Amino acid sequence: MPRRISIRQSVMAADEKIANRLRRDLKDRGILMVNLIGSPGAGKTTLLESTLAGTDLRSAVIEGDIATSRDAERIARTGTQAVQINTHGGCHLEAHLVEKALEELALDKVDIVFIENVGNLVCPAEFDLGEDYKVAVCSLPEGPDKPLKYPHLFCEAGAVLLTKIDLNKHIPFDRELFWGDVSRLNPNAKKIEISATAGDGMQEWKALLSRWLGEKR
Amino acid sequence: MHELSLVKSIIDLLADHAEKNGWHRVSRVTLRIGRMRQVIPDVMKFSFSVAAEGTALEGAELEIIELPLAGRCRACGYAWEEELFSCPKCGSSDSEITHGMELDIDSVEVEDQDAPKDKHSPICNGGR
Ligand SMILES: Nc1nc2c(ncn2[C@@H]2O[C@H](COP(=O)(O)OP(=O)(O)OP(=O)(O)O)[C@@H](O)[C@H]2O)c(=O)[nH]1
Ligand SMILES: [Mg+2]
Ligand SMILES: [Zn+2]
Ligand SMILES: [Zn+2]
Repeated sequence: MPRRISIRQSVMAADEKIANRLRRDLKDRGILMVNLIGSPGAGKTTLLESTLAGTDLRSAVIEGDIATSRDAERIARTGTQAVQINTHGGCHLEAHLVEKALEELALDKVDIVFIENVGNLVCPAEFDLGEDYKVAVCSLPEGPDKPLKYPHLFCEAGAVLLTKIDLNKHIPFDRELFWGDVSRLNPNAKKIEISATAGDGMQEWKALLSRWLGEKR
Repeated sequence: MHELSLVKSIIDLLADHAEKNGWHRVSRVTLRIGRMRQVIPDVMKFSFSVAAEGTALEGAELEIIELPLAGRCRACGYAWEEELFSCPKCGSSDSEITHGMELDIDSVEVEDQDAPKDKHSPICNGGR
């Protein structure tokens, strides 16, 4: 006869424990960790490339992708150390994967660890990786209705970046709708409009990173 | 894809319980999942049946109890049970999600191995 056994255990508990441990360890070492989340092609890697070029902040990058190490190679070309995590079909990163990636990085001279999550606007928002802030990266061509369609990410984000704003020459975009919805979902999120290719907003973004780093130390 | 990765964590966790406690077979698994976890029950059940093959959970029935979203206003304390991101009472968007993020294994039904006659049975349920 089968017998019923109560388990009452969170499936995420083990991973949440790892995330909290990572956050504590990085805090002790004075390192800021930022988790970039956005759709495929939103411009996450390009944003990182321009962020890393010409900054005093010493960085390391963890690249999450389903397959290939292309993004890590792009980052390595800027002279910044990068580790690639391949999820082999998995649609989001989890803390235990980040833990392994951190072990591969030389962190003693690093101020900021950037994580580029798997391109996906949906579930990466649900997983705590031990980061200090999640950053929502949404590009102008995706359209201004994304915050309300994918509210969870925008609710969780410490900052919302609207990228590729140089494309507004060619593509109409209702800014009031976009930023209005972001504010309603998350009044505390820092809001920045960026063009990684033309340079708009990059100063503001780097200043935000410096402020976050300062608050951690 | 999302369901598959969750299902793998669940199976790893329960296969571990099964080995430690000497469960012969798990015949039923009950999960409690919040609406914010964006899980589609049928996709979850299918992923589970595939991923369970070759484990102590093979053939187990998966039951999913879906839990509604609930939130609370940090400004005025008003609480609600629907998908809202601002307070219907005072309009503040400073709200928190109080339920809907659950992803818990509630219980299992197991069939035990024949208990060894010469030793104490290794079966226990973790004191719960
Ligand atoms: N016009 C314009 N194009 C951009 C900008 N940023 C990125 N792009 C282009 O957008 C495309 C995708 O950029 P990536 O940086 O690879 O996007 P990603 O978010 O890293 O993509 P995945 O890692 O595949 O999810 C590339 O062709 C970039 O050149 C920008 O600021 N302006
Ligand atoms: Mg990329
Ligand atoms: Zn996922
Ligand atoms: Zn209120």
